This record gives sequence, C-alpha cells and structure tokens, in this order.
Amino acid sequence: MIMPLIKGLQITISHMFKKPVTLQYPTERPDVKPGFRGLHALNVSHDKAKCVACYLCPTVCPAKCITVEAGEDANHDKYAAKYEIDMLRCIFCGYCVEACPVDAIRMTEQFELANYTRADFTYTKDRLLEKK
Amino acid sequence: MVNLTINGKQVAVEKDATIYDAAKACGIKIPILCHDKKLHPFGGCRMCLVEVEQMKGRLIPACTTPVTEGMIVQTTTDEIVKARKLVLELLLLKHPIDCPVCDAAGDCDLQNLTYEYKVNMNRFVDEKFNHEIDYENPLIERDMNRCIHCGKCARICDEIVSYGAYTFINRGIEAKMGTEFDGPLNCEFCGSCVSVCPVGALNSRPFKFKARWWALQKTKSVCSYCGTGCQLTLGTKDGKVLTTIYDENQGFHNGQLCTRGRFGYQFVNSDKRLTAPLIRKNGKLQEATWEEALAEVTSRLAAGKSDPASVAALATPRLTNEELFLFGKLFRGTVGTDNIDHSAGYAHEALTKGAVASFGVAASPAEIADVQKSNLLLVVKSDAYETHPVIGFEINLGVKRKGIALRIVSDKKGKLTRLPGAKTTVHAPGNEVALFNALCKSVIDQGLAVEGVAGLDALKAAVADATAEKAGVSAEEIAAIAKEFASAEKALIILPIGQGYPGHNAALANAAANLAILTGQVGKEGAGLLIMGEKNNSQGAVDMGIYPKGTGLNAAAIIDGCANGNVKTLFVAGENPVVSYPNRAKVEKALENVEFMVVSDLFLTETAALADVVLPACSFAEKSGTFTSLGRRVQNVRKAIPAIGLAKSDFEILNAISQALGGARYNNQGEVFTEIAASVPAYKGLTQAGLKDEGAVYPVALAAKLVPAAAKAAAPAAGKLALVTGSALYHCGTMSRFGEGPMYVCPDAYAELNVADAAALKVEEGDQVTVTSGTGAVQVVAKVGKRVPQGVVFSPYHFGEGSVNTITDGAEVTYVSVAKK
Ligand code: SF4
Ligand code: SF4
Ligand code: SF4
Ligand code: SF4
Ligand code: SF4
Ligand code: FES
Repeated sequence: MIMPLIKGLQITISHMFKKPVTLQYPTERPDVKPGFRGLHALNVSHDKAKCVACYLCPTVCPAKCITVEAGEDANHDKYAAKYEIDMLRCIFCGYCVEACPVDAIRMTEQFELANYTRADFTYTKDRLLEKK
Repeated sequence: MVNLTINGKQVAVEKDATIYDAAKACGIKIPILCHDKKLHPFGGCRMCLVEVEQMKGRLIPACTTPVTEGMIVQTTTDEIVKARKLVLELLLLKHPIDCPVCDAAGDCDLQNLTYEYKVNMNRFVDEKFNHEIDYENPLIERDMNRCIHCGKCARICDEIVSYGAYTFINRGIEAKMGTEFDGPLNCEFCGSCVSVCPVGALNSRPFKFKARWWALQKTKSVCSYCGTGCQLTLGTKDGKVLTTIYDENQGFHNGQLCTRGRFGYQFVNSDKRLTAPLIRKNGKLQEATWEEALAEVTSRLAAGKSDPASVAALATPRLTNEELFLFGKLFRGTVGTDNIDHSAGYAHEALTKGAVASFGVAASPAEIADVQKSNLLLVVKSDAYETHPVIGFEINLGVKRKGIALRIVSDKKGKLTRLPGAKTTVHAPGNEVALFNALCKSVIDQGLAVEGVAGLDALKAAVADATAEKAGVSAEEIAAIAKEFASAEKALIILPIGQGYPGHNAALANAAANLAILTGQVGKEGAGLLIMGEKNNSQGAVDMGIYPKGTGLNAAAIIDGCANGNVKTLFVAGENPVVSYPNRAKVEKALENVEFMVVSDLFLTETAALADVVLPACSFAEKSGTFTSLGRRVQNVRKAIPAIGLAKSDFEILNAISQALGGARYNNQGEVFTEIAASVPAYKGLTQAGLKDEGAVYPVALAAKLVPAAAKAAAPAAGKLALVTGSALYHCGTMSRFGEGPMYVCPDAYAELNVADAAALKVEEGDQVTVTSGTGAVQVVAKVGKRVPQGVVFSPYHFGEGSVNTITDGAEVTYVSVAKK
C-alpha cells in the first residue's frame, strides 16, 4: 500500500524539476515538425504557378474540396485558370501533394486557419500561390 | 465454323475471324493499338503479338491472322510480354511524356498499356519528336509528336468517311501522319479521326482541357440534329455538356457521328440560351415569372376555345414523341383546333400524303439497315450525304466494302458522285417527278414491270408521254437506270425530305414509290423507299399526327391566316418560320400581324423576337423521352443535365397549359408514352424501358399501290439561274447556328455557282453577291466550283443573315439573277 504511493510521489516530484511542456501560445510558438501538413501552397517556377491543371489532385482528393479549371494560354499551353481549395472541407490528408506529377503543390507549416466567415475559407489560386 | 484453342480454352468461330476476334469472343483480352473493329486489319503496331503452336519460332499478330482449324494459341507467355514491352519502349522512345497536359490521359491506350506492362524505364534513348503542332483549325488540334502511327485516322477518313484527309509521309523514324502537302487540316470535320485516335495526337478543340475522361458523367442519348437518329453518349460535368464520347458499340453506326453530332452540341450550354420567360410589355420583351407567362398564355388559349378556328399551333419535329403527342392532344383535343402542323406541311408531305397514298402508312417501308443489305441504291439528290451524313457513311461502306451499285439522280453533283462505280445523272432542277415517271415508263416499255400490281393501268396511262427529254436527261441513261433498278436483286431508293427541299413533296414520293412498286422492289429486305425526314424526330411528329387533318390549315395556310387575321392566336413550339419557311417578308409580316403569339424555344430566335410571350424551353440533353428516327426506330433520349436557368421542357410547359385548360394532366413524360403505346397503332406494345439502349423498329403493314404523280414542268426563265435550296453538311435546320462547331466551319450563307457561270458574271470565290428573285433579294458569299451544273445556283437555308427564304416562295425552283454586290 505504501510503496505505490511513494512511487507516485517520486514521479510528481521529478516533474517539479522538469521544463514544462505547455506552450504559452500565442507568445510562445510551437516548433513544427518536418512533414507537418498545414495550409497548402502552390509552387512557383519561372514566375508562374507550376500547376499544369492536370486534374489529378481534385480527382484524388477524398473530401472533394479542390476545384481546378484549366485554361489555354497564348502559347496554347495548359494552365490552371482556376485553382481553389475549400479549406472547410479539407481533411489535410496530403493526397493532393502526393498525386501531383509536377510538384506544384505542397503543404506549409501554417496551421493558424481560424476565420470568421465561410468565404474566408475559400483559398483561391491567388491566396495559395507561394509568396516570395 | 473453325475450332481452335486459346490459352487452353476451346473456341469455335466463323472462318473469316482473326485470332483477335476469336480471343475476344471467349473473353480473352489481347492488347491492341492499331486495330479497330470498323476498319480493315492493318497490323502496324505489333502490340497484339501472340504465339501459335503450329508457327513456333516467331510471334504472330493476332489482329491480322485468320484462324485455322486446330490452332493452339497462347496470348501471354513471358516471351510475348517481353515483346510487347519492347513495342511500348520503342513507341515511348520519341513520344513526349506529356500526360499531365495531354487531353487523352485517362483514356489513352498507350498510357494504359504502359501502366499495365509496367514499362517504367527505357533501354533506348533518342531525342523526342519536335513536330510543329497544328493549332490552326478551330475543331481538331493535331500534335503529331504524340502520334504512334497506328494509321487509324487515315483509315477511318478513307474507308468510312471517304474523305482521305490524311496519309503517312516520310519513312522509318521520320514517318509522320500528314495532310495534303503537310498543310493545315481542311476536311469535313466529322471528328471520326479524333474519336479513333488511341492517344492524344488528335484532340477536339472545343473540349480541349475542359475535363478528364474519368470525371465526365456519361449519358446515352440520341443526336438531336437530323433524322438518322445516331445514338451518342454525352459527356457532362457540372451541369454542362462538354463533349460527345465515342463508343464503338453504340448504335447501328458503331459510334460514328457526323460533324454536327460530334462538334455541334455546344448549343446546349450556349450563353445565348433563354433562362427566364419573357412577356411583351410596352412593345418590349421583358423578363417575367413562369406564373405570369403561363397565365397569359392559358387565358388566351381559354378564350380561343370558343373560336377554335382562330387558334393555330406549330411544333418543331425536334420535340420528343411525348411532347408532340401532348401538343396534339392539347390543341386538337382541349382547344379544339385542327390548325396544327410541324415544320411546314409541305416539307413532310412525302410522308403524310405521299407514303400514305403509295404504301398505306405514313412511314418508309425500308429501314436504315436496308442500305447495306441492298444491291443497288438509287439516291435522289446527291446531298443525301449532307442532310444525313451518317447514312452517307453507310452508303460509302456499302459501296466500297460490299460493292453495292450506286446510282444518283440529282440537280447537282455531290460527294456520293465520287464513290467508286457511282453514276450520277444530272437533271434540270425541279425535274425529279418527270424523271421518275420516265423511269417508270422505261420499265414498262422494257417489259420489266411485275405483273398484277394495283393501279398499273392508271399508271401506264399517266406515264404514257413521260419521256427522258421531258426530264431533261438522255434516253439511254433513263433506260439504263430503269433496267439496272428493275433487274437488281434488291434495290433501294433514298429520298431526303425537309424544309430545304420544297420539291420533295407527295408527288415525288409517289413517283419514287411507283418505280419501287412497279419493279417489285418493295416489301423485302434491302429494297423499297427510304424517305429521310430532315429533323431528329420528323418521323415521330408524323406518327403523333402533328399535321393538319380534315379542314385544318397547314403551316403555309396558318401563316396566311395570321396575315389575313383569321388566325388570332398562334402557339409556336420551337419552330423558326421566319428563317425556315419560304418568303421571309411574308412570314414576318404575318407574324407581326397575329394578335397573340407565344413561342417556346431555347433561344431568342428571329421568330421568338416577334412573340408576345416567350417561354424558355429545354434542349434534348435536359429531358427524357423518345425520338423516332427515319428508319422507324423509336429510341430513348435520356436526361443528362439539369435544366438551364428557369427553362422547362416542352412537356412541362404543355402539361401545365393542358391542365389549366381542363385537359389531360400527366405526372411525368413516361405516362404519355404509355398512352402513345396504347393509342398509336404502330407503337403498340412498346415501353420506354423495353426500348433499352438500342431502341425498337416498329413494323409497317404495307398496302402498296401505284399512284400516278403529275410532273410539273418547271419553266426556265431566260437569262436567269435556277436556284435550288438544300442543306449544308455542317448544319441542320436553324438550330446548329447556336453550336460553335458548325459556325467555325460554315458561318455564313453562301451561293454555290458553277465556274462557267461565275466567270460570266465575273464573280470569284468569296465575293459578296446579290441574288435576286421575284420575291426579294439577298446578299450572300459566293462559292465557285464544279459541283453545280451550269445554270444552277445552290444555297443552304439555315442562316438568319442572308437567309435564302427571303427569295424563295415554296416553288421547287426559283429563278434568280446573280450579280456581284
Ligand atoms: S495535381 Fe498538381 S498539376 Fe495537377 S492540378 Fe493538382 S496541383 Fe495542378
Ligand atoms: S498520348 Fe497518352 S501517353 Fe502520350 S502524353 Fe497523352 S496521355 Fe500520355
Ligand atoms: S474530321 Fe473526318 S473528314 Fe476530317 S480528317 Fe478527320 S475523319 Fe477525315
Ligand atoms: S494521329 Fe492518332 S489515329 Fe492517327 S496515326 Fe497517329 S496515333 Fe494513330
Ligand atoms: S447523321 Fe444526323 S443524327 Fe447522326 S450525328 Fe449527324 S446530325 Fe446527328
Ligand atoms: S493491333 Fe495488331 S498489329 Fe496493331
């Protein structure tokens, strides 16, 4: 009876001398681990979104939250005239990143996504484009 | 039957089958790239290699090797898989790996096989192709870098379409699928080549980048242009029709479509579509609610009930059978007027009066399948190909593959003229009846008439003085055609009818039927008369009785009634008389004069613009029902997308009006079909579910008799040219103007002149010319060629601007003068 009690106290006392794990958010920021799946970003190459509008990410997306519409540019090439993610539906599975054949989309470390209106959760191509 | 063993399975197949066919018959899949069941075997890609025990030591292409008795075939040994991998590696050597931006991805044989055979590296290296991509053409984009040289495009264009736009150029590694002088593609734009291309080398531009194959919803339906009734699969996404999908197992035509079916469907999602009802207020059409619009219409019709003769109604034969039946029931039954017609009585008189008099039924005694079962086809007007292109493909196939003899009697030459062995007899415009009478006389004179047909004496007397000279052709030609026709084992006459052909009326149908009956070429397979109604449901409109009976006015008389004030209320369902009926000025004046006109249509057409109430209607893609094709095949039309805007189907519109007027009320269009099956004898026993995908050809009981047809002598006017109207390949009626495809290729009204006439008038291709008749004048673009004979001008009727009905007045031939603007 007495031994378990002592063991328990030992643990309690040992913790009194350890660094606390609680972060004082927002003054203290977490250290995001590699592979964390936060807000998406569209990668840029040659000043253009890398996305070629292949429709693979909307196809693979289990939440059906990606809308892509392809357009034809002046050189007859395909580009994403519209690229939109409804972040309210996104389940951050990262399948889109895996599916992309041209490495056009990645997930950033940004996790602060709370907002006030539904419209603010629609991430258009403009909002997703990697900001330099 | 030949017996063989494939992968240990015993198979028995016809003796002309190939190993590929035999494997397919027993469910074994052999990969193919260059093979297509519609085309002659080619054996170019070597993807289908198999091993045959009796021919050990080398691999054999399954698609070109005929089966022999006792063959033992293996389709997937290690060696075969290795060989197929090699084929793919070699194909991928110069092929760009463009899949993310290639429209074929997801529906690409090369991609699928590469995946299936796990070709994830290549032992060889070479530079990729660097051919210039042909973006010039608005409908078909050609990227020969992706071409795998299967030759299917060239073969289909040659074997089935008979155009021959492509050919291989260069040899070996330099080989390329090219066009004439390697220039831009300039062809019929039927899209057949695009449909069979196994990779993304040929793409449909209107569909370019729009969606992935797997994201499309596929709905089987029926083309809504011409009376051929080709089945098609609509590819839709997000409530829009994006493309038509090729299915080689669909319909009698194995998935073949013409340019309209392939590239003319954008009218469904056109932003010109009407999306809300319009009511004329203070002289202007303004948006209104459905309640207001329907209230207005029903109150007018309710008032008309007390004076039914003052009410008239016109329907387009593009509506479904159910809608047309309801239309008839509403106007004939509930409102009580007999003034109903579709697409102008004169245009379908060949069926409603002609076929009834000659065969006792308002339908063709032959069906489309008879085209290829015949031994001799006698085509009236060379543009049977332009009005019903897929029947044109059937004719091509019959002539080229089965050696069917082809005889054409026409006022001009056309594509059919160029088929192997085809003989064209060019007669003066408007002489068709005289020509058939002369043929009948020749049959009688040569003693080739069958004995004891009803009405023989009367016919003999009537054609006694019908001579070849009267028809304007040589006596030898007449005698030859008459002899060939009568002595062929099975001979079929093909006769297009429709608004472009005012001369193709009851008399012509009788005259043509006489020839068939007189020679015994009727009531048997591959023989008879195929009367080809112009629109997708022309036959259905006749079957549903949408033409004047008894004292009712026909379309032309309705227009007159509007002009003279006898018709006060006019209901127009989808028709566009301003452009399609003869004498535009007269029609416009009449429609302006009528007290109250309501038009239901997809677009604010020239006619709708004159209406007091305009109701937005649904296209064929937005509704279900049935169409009856010219070969009497009743087929299911299926709803593929929800209605655009506030549009309602004509079924919903007519049902609401009928109910408000105290008439019948149906819960859905299917109930109407049940009633049709109960009350239209030919449709007895049919159910919509029973029609399935293939539809059903309803039977006809013929009571054939000879009916003398009087030939009207067209009086040529000195110094004038004879204007014949008709259909242009890319268009059908006036609706195709709202499809982007047809308008890219054929955007303007034109008049086609013979080179000699053009030279005399100092007119060159592309010049603006004024064509003047006694009725009016119209400005069109000149086309110059050798298709039309000297002294004849041809002009299609589909266009709103420069519409030829400005200068025609319903006569078979209009004499015009042509002058450079
Ligand atoms: S998978 Fe990549 S290239 Fe394709 S649409 Fe998505 S982001 Fe664009
Ligand atoms: S043709 Fe097929 S394999 Fe070639 S790029 Fe297109 S989808 Fe890929
Ligand atoms: S579109 Fe038709 S006519 Fe033109 S090349 Fe292709 S198959 Fe031939
Ligand atoms: S263009 Fe297409 S259909 Fe024609 S040969 Fe090349 S791969 Fe075959
Ligand atoms: S032939 Fe007629 S039914 Fe067939 S695709 Fe062409 S327009 Fe449509
Ligand atoms: S499919 Fe047999 S050789 Fe191409």
